[in-house]
Amino acid sequence: MRNVMKTAAGLALAIVLGMPAIAQDKLTIGIMVPTTGSEATYGQDMANAVNLAIGEINAAGGVLGKQLTSTVGDDGCDAQLAVNAASKLAASGVVGVVGGYCSGATIPTLKIYGDAKIPLIIPAANSTKLIPENPGNAFMINSTGNDQVAKAIEYFNGKGIKSIAIINQGDAYSQDLADLTKKNWEAAGNKVTNFEVTNKGEQDYSAVVTAITSANPDAVFWTAYYADGGLLIRQLRERGYQGLIAVGDGSNSPELFKIAGPAAEGVIAFSNPTAEFLPQAKAFADAYQKQFGAAPGPYSTLSYDAMKLLAWAINTAGTTDSAKVIETLQGANFTDTISGPISFTPEKTLARSNFVVLQGKGGAWTLAQ
Amino acid sequence: MAQFPERPSPWGGLGAILDTPAKRWTAIAVILVAMAAAPFVFGSYGTVILTNALLYVLLALGLNVVVGYAGLLDLGFAAFFAVGAYTVGISTLHFGLNFWLALPLAVLIAIIAGVVIGAPTLRLRSDYLAIVTLGFGEIVRITARNLRETGGASGLIGIDSPWLFGWHIRTPLDFYYVFCVLVILGVIASVRLANSRLGRAWLYVRHDEDAAEAMGIDRVRVKLAAYIVGAIYGSIGGAFFAANLGAISPESFSFRQSVLILMAVILGGMGKIPGVILGAFIVILAPELLRDFGDLRLLIFAVGLLLIMLFRPSGIWPVRSKR
Amino acid sequence: MTIFDIFTNQLLNGIVLGSFYALVALGYTMVFGVVKLLNFAHGELYMVGGFAGFLLLSFLAPYLGPGWFGVAVSMVLAMIAVGFLGVVIERVAYAPMLSAPRLSILITALAVSLVLQNGMLTLTKGQYVPFGAALGFGGVRLGSLFISYNQMVLVGVAGALMLGLELFVSRTQYGRAMRAIAVDKDMSRLMGINVNAVIAVTFFLGSALAAAAGTMAGAYYGSLWYFMGFLIGLKAFTAAVIGGIGSIPGAMLGGLILGLLESFGTQLPGVGSEWKDVFSFSVLILVLVFKPTGLLGKPEQERM
Repeated sequence: MRNVMKTAAGLALAIVLGMPAIAQDKLTIGIMVPTTGSEATYGQDMANAVNLAIGEINAAGGVLGKQLTSTVGDDGCDAQLAVNAASKLAASGVVGVVGGYCSGATIPTLKIYGDAKIPLIIPAANSTKLIPENPGNAFMINSTGNDQVAKAIEYFNGKGIKSIAIINQGDAYSQDLADLTKKNWEAAGNKVTNFEVTNKGEQDYSAVVTAITSANPDAVFWTAYYADGGLLIRQLRERGYQGLIAVGDGSNSPELFKIAGPAAEGVIAFSNPTAEFLPQAKAFADAYQKQFGAAPGPYSTLSYDAMKLLAWAINTAGTTDSAKVIETLQGANFTDTISGPISFTPEKTLARSNFVVLQGKGGAWTLAQ
Repeated sequence: MAQFPERPSPWGGLGAILDTPAKRWTAIAVILVAMAAAPFVFGSYGTVILTNALLYVLLALGLNVVVGYAGLLDLGFAAFFAVGAYTVGISTLHFGLNFWLALPLAVLIAIIAGVVIGAPTLRLRSDYLAIVTLGFGEIVRITARNLRETGGASGLIGIDSPWLFGWHIRTPLDFYYVFCVLVILGVIASVRLANSRLGRAWLYVRHDEDAAEAMGIDRVRVKLAAYIVGAIYGSIGGAFFAANLGAISPESFSFRQSVLILMAVILGGMGKIPGVILGAFIVILAPELLRDFGDLRLLIFAVGLLLIMLFRPSGIWPVRSKR
Repeated sequence: MTIFDIFTNQLLNGIVLGSFYALVALGYTMVFGVVKLLNFAHGELYMVGGFAGFLLLSFLAPYLGPGWFGVAVSMVLAMIAVGFLGVVIERVAYAPMLSAPRLSILITALAVSLVLQNGMLTLTKGQYVPFGAALGFGGVRLGSLFISYNQMVLVGVAGALMLGLELFVSRTQYGRAMRAIAVDKDMSRLMGINVNAVIAVTFFLGSALAAAAGTMAGAYYGSLWYFMGFLIGLKAFTAAVIGGIGSIPGAMLGGLILGLLESFGTQLPGVGSEWKDVFSFSVLILVLVFKPTGLLGKPEQERM
C-alpha cells in the first residue's frame, strides 16, 4: 500500500522534474517526428537531417549570436502521441518546431502550436487536408499531393500510357496520393486497372502482383514508401511485369536500390529534387552518410532545408518573437536550400511545385530525360 | 484468517484502510481537490497527458468489466472506442448533429455492435474469444480505413468541440475537467456494478463457468452483459476523444491500442479499480516521462513492464481480498 | 492470362505465403499446447531469426557463397541461436510466471515482444537491412505458371521441417512427454516427466521454426526490418486458431488456409487487396462460430 503511494508520488514528482529546464543562452528547436513505432525509419532520418543542419548553423555562429540545440518530440505517427509531443514541445519554450511526417498525426497538433504561437515548418506531411486546419503559424515546404499528381499525369501522358495500376499502403499520405491520382486520371478518360492496398511490413506481394500482371496495365504507380516499394518492384519484375513502374516522393531514397536490386533499373520517381546529382545535395548526402552511417531518406533534404529556413527566418526577423518570425516566413524568398527556392502561397504551402521526374540508373537516381 | 474467502472488493483492499466514513470522506475530498488542482501544478503539458491518462482510465474501467469482472479476454477493445469516435465524427460532420445527441447514438451503435459480435461468439472459450475480438478490432479499423464516409486513412477532421449550457468545451483544461467527471462517473458505475447481482454472476462465471451454469446462471447472457457494459464505456471514451482531438484516424484504433488498454487493466491488478486506475496512469505516463531517452524510451518502458510483472505477477495493486 | 492461369498462380502464391504462416503458427500452437500461453513475442522471434540469419550469412558468405547453400547453413545456425533465445526468454520471463494468473503472462509476453522490437530498432537505427543473399531466378514453366526454384526450395524446406516436427512429437520420448503435459501438466510431473525440460524443448523448437521462417523470408524477399515480426505474428496467431490452437497439423492447415484466403481474396472482385484482411478475419470468425475449437482442435476444458 505505502509502496503504491510512494510510486504514485514519485510519478507525480517525476512529471514536475521531467520538464526540461531550457538553458537561456541557447535557443531550442523542437523536432516532431516519429522515432519509435513502425515509422521510426523515416522519423529518425528526418531528425538526423535537422540535427545536421543545426550543427552547420552552430559552426557558422548560430542564430542571433546564440547556439542552437534541439529536442525531439516523438509523435509515433499517432494522433494522441503527437498531441502529447506537441504539448511538451510547446510547454518547453522552443523557438520553433520542424516536424510533421505523418499527415494524420500532424493535423491535431496544428491547433496546439497555433495556440502556443510557435512557428512550425512541416517538411514532409503534405496531405491536402492539412491546409484548412492551419491556424496560420504552420508552413508546408513539401509540395502538396495535387502537385505530385499533376506531375505524374503529365509524365504518363507524355509516355503514351493509357492504363495504370495504383497501389498504396493504407496510410493517410499514400492513400491521399492514390485517391487523387485515380480521380484525375479517370477524369481525363484513362483507365485504372487495379487499385490495390497493401499492409505496411507485408513482405509477400505475390497476390497483388498476380492481380496486376493479369490485368497488364501500361504502368504501375506505387504511392507509398521505398522499403516496401523496393520489395514490390522486385516481385513485379521477377514475375515478368514489363511495363513502366513509377513511385511517389516517399520512395525517393537510394535505399530503394539496395532493396530492389537490379529490378529498380528504369524506375521513375516523382519527387522533390534531391540526391546525388545536385552539387549542394551531394555535399549534404556525404555529410549525412559520414555522421549517421546511412544514406539520407526521402524527407531528409526537406527536413534539412526546413531547419535552415527557420534559422534564416529568426535571423532575418532579428528576434524569436513568433509573430515576427511568422511574418518573415510568409514573405520568405529563401534560396539557400538543396531542394530549390522556398516561398509561400497565402495558404502557407510551397508557392511552386517542387516535383521533378527522377529515373533509376545504375543503382542511383538521375534526372529523367 | 476468515473461514471463507470474502468476495473480492472492487476497491482491492482499500476498504481495510479506509474503514470509517470519516476516513473515506477525507480520502475522497483529498482526491477531488488533487484532481481539481493538478492542472495548475503540472502546467499545460501536464494537463494534456493527464487528460490522456484519464481517457485511458475510462477505457480501462470499461475493459476491466469485460476482462477483470467477467474473465473474458478481449483483444479488440479499440473497436468500441472507434465506434464511439466515428459515430460522433460522422454524425456531427456529415449530418450536423449536436454532440449531445451524437453521444447517445454512439453508445447505441456500440451496444448493437457488441451484441452482433458478442452473441454468436461469447460461448467460445477465452483464447478463441481473444482472436475473435482481435479480428473484430481489425475489421473495424480496416473498414474505417477503406470507406470514404469515414474519411479513409486520413480520417475525419474538424470535429466540433461541444457546448454545455453556454460553456464551450474547447481548451485542454476544459477537457481535463470533462474527463475528470467522466472518470468519477465511471468509477461509481463500476463499483455499483461489481456489487450488483450481475457483478456476483460475473464473479461466479469467472471462477467456475460450469458450476455457474449449473446454478442457473445463463453464461452467455451474463457475458454478453459484460461485453455491452464494456462497449458503453469504450464508446463514451471514443466520443469524447473525438471531440477533444477534433480529428480521428484509423491509426488510433489499431491492435496496439487494444493491447495498451489491456495492459493498463492487467498491470495494475485486474478487477480492482485502484489497480486499473494505476495501470492506466502507468501505461500513459511512463512513456511520456521517458521522453528524454529518445528512441530508447519504449525499450526502457518494456523492460520496466517486464520487471513489474516478474515481481508482482498479479498486478501492482496488492491482492488482499482474503483478509 | 486466362482464369485458369490466374487461379494456378494465386494457388502457388497462397501456398508459398501459407508455408511461412504455418512455420510461425507452429511455434504459437506448440507453446500454447504445453504451457497454455499465447506467446505474443513469437512474431518477434521470426524477426530476430531473420536478423540472425543475415548476420551469419554475412560472416559465412565469403566461404560458402551467398546462394542457397550459404543461406541453408546460416538458417540452421540461426535456428539453433534463436532456439536458445527462446529457451532463455522462457526461463527469464515466463517460467517465474507460470503460477501467476494467465493474463499476467500475456502482458509479460507483450513486454518481451516490445523489448525485442525496440532493441532491434535501436541496433539497426530503424533502417531496413538488405539481406544480401543471391538466390538466382531460375525455375520451371508449366504453361503460364512459373514456379521458381526458390519457391520449390522454400516450400520443400518448410514441409520437411513440419514433417520433422510431426515425427518428433509423435515418435520420440520428448514428443510423448509434450503431449502428456498438454493434457495434464501436474499429472505428468507426478508420472516422472521432467516438465521444465520438456517446456524448454518446446520453446526451442517453436523458436527455431520461427527463425527458419525469418531467415528464409529474408533471403527470399530480400530485406529485413525491426517491425517485420508484428504482422506475421498476428497472421500466424490467426492461422493457429483457424486450425485449432494446440494442434500441430491444425497449425499447418491453418497457415495454408490463411495464405490461400489472402491470395484468392486479393484476386476476388468485391474483396481485393483492400478488403482481404477483413475477408480472412470474417472467415476466421465464421469458422469459430460453427466449429468453436478451430478446424482440427480438440474440445477441451480450460479456464482463465
